[in-house]
Amino acid sequence: MRVPGRTDDHEWSQQHLSHYVEGDLTLRARRRLDHHARDCADCGRGIRALRALVYATRSLGGLAGVRAPETIFDRARSAGAG
Amino acid sequence: MRPPDGRRALDVADTEASLLARAQAGDVTAFERLSGAYADRLFMLLLRLLGDRAEAEDVAQEVMLRAWQGITRFRGQSSYFTWLYRIAVNEANRALEKRARRPPGVALGADELQLPAPAALDPSRQAENSELRRALGRALADLPPPLRTAIVLRDVEGLSTQEAAEIAGIGEAAFKSRLHQARLRVRAAIGDEALASTGG
Repeated sequence: MRVPGRTDDHEWSQQHLSHYVEGDLTLRARRRLDHHARDCADCGRGIRALRALVYATRSLGGLAGVRAPETIFDRARSAGAG
Repeated sequence: MRPPDGRRALDVADTEASLLARAQAGDVTAFERLSGAYADRLFMLLLRLLGDRAEAEDVAQEVMLRAWQGITRFRGQSSYFTWLYRIAVNEANRALEKRARRPPGVALGADELQLPAPAALDPSRQAENSELRRALGRALADLPPPLRTAIVLRDVEGLSTQEAAEIAGIGEAAFKSRLHQARLRVRAAIGDEALASTGG
């Protein structure tokens, strides 16, 4: 929750949370967001949530049991033979 | 045995470069060996983007046909994998556009978008994980296709931003913006409490 009257750049930080988690910000921008998030529960929670989301999708994203169908080359084969 | 990243192993003699040269000379068997190395992974991508196994199987055949027909135009400016994946994303988008023109009632199957269960977790963690997988599947299924493509390529597939943007056919800045929007929507759909249980 944004504290009324706060003079930091909350909106800018919210727009850059994903880039922050990606490690895509310049050092200066990263420091700016770090500085803001230190006092902003909303942005701190946002960083933790996005990190957890990336972790969840990546760690659960294996290929267990999924195989391409045997028919995958049928059309290419037909075209190749034609 | 296939390597864990889903690629089928190529024989030492059959390097990608030699298979590509033979495929470009018209050898369909070489094309199959070259593209077969990525077939499982490509099919998983289509399942995630389309959410329907029958449609993914149909589109997978179309991807391989298009790749075969276009192989002589591949100049190696990107990796073969990137080129093939780009065809897959284009064909998936084409299929989704066709689906959007059909009468309503053909819903995206969120079950198909669920992520495979990891092995070796204790039962309580497995239950949490399985619930999270369902929630992730539903949230991904509800995303508009461009946002779903961004999060699937970058976060699920684990591709670099540069490679994912190239496959999606947009610039890196635009890709990052889509990824950001996708993550925010999935976060809102799943909820911070559920995400906190991931241990990430």
